[in-house]
Amino acid sequence: MMGKVTLRNLAAHKIRLVLTAIAVILGVAFVAGTLVFTDTMNKQFDDLFSRIGKGIAVDVRAKKVTDAPEDGSAAVPVPASVLERLKTVEGVKNPRGNVTGYAAVVGADGKIVGQGQQGPPQLGVNWVNGGSFELASGRAPQGPAEVAIDADSAKKGKLAVGRTVQVVTAGPPQRMTITGLIDTGNLMGATVTAFDTPTAQRLLLKPGFFTDIEMGTTGPSETELRDRVAKVLPAGYEAITGTELREQNKSDVASFLGFFRTLLLVFALISIFVGAFIIFNTFSMLVAQRTRELALLRAIGAARRQVTRAVIGEAVAVGVVGSTFGLAAGVGLASVLQAFFSTGSDSGLTITATPVIASYAVGILVTVVSAYFPARRAAKIPPVAAMRDDIALPQRSLRIRIALGSLITLIGSGLIGVGLTGTGDANPAIPTGIGALLVFIGVAMLAPVISVPVVKVLGLPAAKLMGAPGRLARQNALRNPRRTAATAAALMIGLALITTVSVLGSTMRASLDKQVDDQFGIDYAVEATGGAIGADVLQKIKRTPGVETASQLYEGDARIKGKEAWYVAGDAGAAAKGARLKMVAGSAALGPAGIMVDEGTAKKNGWTIGSSVPVQFADGRTEQLRLAGIYAKNELLGPRFVAQQAHLRHTVRPTADLIIIDAATTGPATRTALEETLRAHPNLKVTDQSSLKEDLRKEVDGFVTFLTILLAMSVIIAAVGVINTLALSVIERTREIGLLRAIGISRRQLRRMIRMESIVIALFGAGLGLAIGMAFGTALQNALADKGLAVLSFPVAQLAAYVAVGGVIGVLAALWPAWRAGRMDVLKAISTE
Amino acid sequence: MTNTAPPPATAHPAPEAGAYAARAHEISKVYGHGDARVIALDSVTVGIPRGRFTAIMGPSGSGKSTLMHCMAGLDSVDSGEVLVGETELTRLKDKQLTRLRRDKIGFIFQAFNLVPTLTALENITLPMDIAGRKPDKAWLDKVIDTVGLRPRLKHRPSELSGGQQQRVACARALASRPEIIFADEPTGNLDSRSGAEVLGFLRDSVREMGQTIVMVTHDPSAAAYADQVVFLTDGRIVDTMANPTAERVLERMKGFEPEVSAR
Repeated sequence: MMGKVTLRNLAAHKIRLVLTAIAVILGVAFVAGTLVFTDTMNKQFDDLFSRIGKGIAVDVRAKKVTDAPEDGSAAVPVPASVLERLKTVEGVKNPRGNVTGYAAVVGADGKIVGQGQQGPPQLGVNWVNGGSFELASGRAPQGPAEVAIDADSAKKGKLAVGRTVQVVTAGPPQRMTITGLIDTGNLMGATVTAFDTPTAQRLLLKPGFFTDIEMGTTGPSETELRDRVAKVLPAGYEAITGTELREQNKSDVASFLGFFRTLLLVFALISIFVGAFIIFNTFSMLVAQRTRELALLRAIGAARRQVTRAVIGEAVAVGVVGSTFGLAAGVGLASVLQAFFSTGSDSGLTITATPVIASYAVGILVTVVSAYFPARRAAKIPPVAAMRDDIALPQRSLRIRIALGSLITLIGSGLIGVGLTGTGDANPAIPTGIGALLVFIGVAMLAPVISVPVVKVLGLPAAKLMGAPGRLARQNALRNPRRTAATAAALMIGLALITTVSVLGSTMRASLDKQVDDQFGIDYAVEATGGAIGADVLQKIKRTPGVETASQLYEGDARIKGKEAWYVAGDAGAAAKGARLKMVAGSAALGPAGIMVDEGTAKKNGWTIGSSVPVQFADGRTEQLRLAGIYAKNELLGPRFVAQQAHLRHTVRPTADLIIIDAATTGPATRTALEETLRAHPNLKVTDQSSLKEDLRKEVDGFVTFLTILLAMSVIIAAVGVINTLALSVIERTREIGLLRAIGISRRQLRRMIRMESIVIALFGAGLGLAIGMAFGTALQNALADKGLAVLSFPVAQLAAYVAVGGVIGVLAALWPAWRAGRMDVLKAISTE
Repeated sequence: MTNTAPPPATAHPAPEAGAYAARAHEISKVYGHGDARVIALDSVTVGIPRGRFTAIMGPSGSGKSTLMHCMAGLDSVDSGEVLVGETELTRLKDKQLTRLRRDKIGFIFQAFNLVPTLTALENITLPMDIAGRKPDKAWLDKVIDTVGLRPRLKHRPSELSGGQQQRVACARALASRPEIIFADEPTGNLDSRSGAEVLGFLRDSVREMGQTIVMVTHDPSAAAYADQVVFLTDGRIVDTMANPTAERVLERMKGFEPEVSAR
């Protein structure tokens, strides 16, 4: 019987339930979309690496010192003699020397094809017949002036076989003829440029050397063959099985994708958390509206549990329907993302059981949990309420709420404090995140109390300027503080996080500007936007008019006392001047085997001037470097700076990451001259203080935009919540609206009244969010003050814009409910029970 | 009983315009189709004399509420015409109807007819606030004192008794000095003592302030407060009675019973 009541109710209140379901649908779509998309990416990378690594039984390469991807290969490539030796090992089939490095081609538009600082790699390889790839057209490249490129790149760059093309590598620029196009399959956006082996060695590595040597097997198992091969290898090299190789390739990508997935899921969960507020609010209102009916059920003998169950039953139904549509929407979302990111044609979505199970679990769980408290309250309705007119649900006193809300807010703030200041190894994001969650819940609990004075003030202009409709709107927003608060709280969360991100972004910009001002003493710098800076560039720069001196900075990966430690290397004098290094002890005179570190690093390791620092370089050898200087923390040079000679001793093919230039005269003339010098190197660019600031600003803006877009979903869900609350309020006040219409309020005045109420609620939510976001941002800045966020800055214009967005959300959310209220039949409305 | 019966609320067969606050001329209203077809009003012609207290009586389903709704511009008629003052309602659009209700008509409903978020005083002045007019202070004071609400003006409806709430509703209807006030079972939800208060107050406002009031009721003792009673059965006006008493009205109503139950 109660089941029938549940079903009838669902049928009777379709619109309310659709609105509730939208909150579920959006949240679930986010989760499902993330899972399906990352599953698909994973599958495609799996396919890619399986395809590329097909037939490889054993791979020979330099032992890795660190986990950095470029490590080893550049430091200790495999000499060709090893290849000859491997041919004699029994069981080895077709050993093949690979040369891999950075290479890219310049398209018809003068830009490097597929360029991006981050993202898919631009691979330069040696062409091997029967290797990983096949030719789609043309023939293999032969000799120093021929190249083959992947078919996708050719299409993007509007290039074709026979064309002469500029090839960019970490060496002198080359002009070559395209002899063939390579069919690479779906490379997930990576580009491939292939040369014959000697050319590849010369341009990408070092003549006579290979990056690695892969081989098949004539019979023995992978492990058997690996052990045989290992016996003939010189020291410093290792053999791994093809299976291990493929796993390692995959795990690099998988860990990135895993991070990406976690990030997206965090934002999906935020959306769902916001959705939970909406669901809670909707069910609270549905129960309130049905008080009389539920009381009647109780009066005629329904048990409390049956009433609870009837309400929960509705929640389950909404959860199931919402999850189903959410899952479908998520799959749609994933295919859009997939189309956006993927270049291959052989793409299709990979839908495993996980997203399906997760969608239903999340959707149903959230709905039921959110509806639980309203359902409990429904059960507490006394049967006598059926007989009374002035029905009021039993409500807990606000005093308990204030106490509990304050406590939860305090605990949350405390946890954030612990998370931000914690020095432990535990992931600080977890206490911080839980703390933020608790703050949101705590403030949401306090919100009804806060709402009364705030809404009074916010509604004042409307009440003063708009006459009766304005006053009524203000009163309506005040009439049920819990409802106003829960609606506003949903909006608060999204805007609080967006505000936090904006404050962080603004703080980062301000801090980076200050850092650049303080520490960037370089007149000009040259950096690579792809690949690295070739050895020939320095001399060209030095000859450029206006340039006084120039020197190269290198980045390297090493291990110190077993721990991975990246470093910068170069001419210490020039670097110290360029980075405005403040020496705390010793000097920047490093000599051929010196190192200097920043204060923190010295203190942590207990090093003093003259200490011997054991550095295991990427070639696997360890050298004792003498600590010559200790400097104040510096963002440009990082924690460690190694003498140039020491770095070069351990690097076979040194490529610089930055050239720092001391100009005789700074100004447009010198800059133009430098740009002219670099014209043949489209992968290099000149920066100075202002363009560096500009670049950093763009990066920060990109980061802020990305996170804001992810958070926008939660704001959209919150907007649906405002619509929902208003629509339900309109239904609830049918009689009152009918009365107002009967005594002469016009449709337009009625719409204005509902719109004003909506705006007041939305502004309240936006204001709360802004306040919390600014507090969060300030807390983060304080915690990270010594990690680069020295200058707290509030983006005033942006924050003002968010308040305006709050108002606009109010206006938009009121459109439909107001229209509905205006269309109500006056006579029916008055006679509604 | 035929449709050509003379307009019964007045002694004159063709009422002069000036004498009536509202008039209905041969209005008909039908609900539903086929078997479910119900004739709510069957070519009713009636005039509501200005400055009098008129009661419309009839058994349930007689069409008395429909008649009131149509005359107040809350419902439309299928045929015939309705005039409030000199304004022909049937030709008005919603916007004009709304304005007419706001400026010319006052309402008192059976129950729940106050805005719960507003105080008693704010409820009373609401129609004028909506219209953006300043209330006539002297008149407002007079109305408030007449209904005896002075000490309760700052209270919300939930803090008032049923009788007090209904008196607030009466004051609201009177405060803007409408052409005519329509009261739909104003005492339906009140105990007899509060009901008597409200009815006495309505009668006084007619006698002392010259207000025109039309009241729909099925309670003979309520109808006794009116100057005249119009009896409605099956969507037709069947009789009128001047200077009614509860006993006479009850007696007259009994006369309709067999006819109703015979259907």
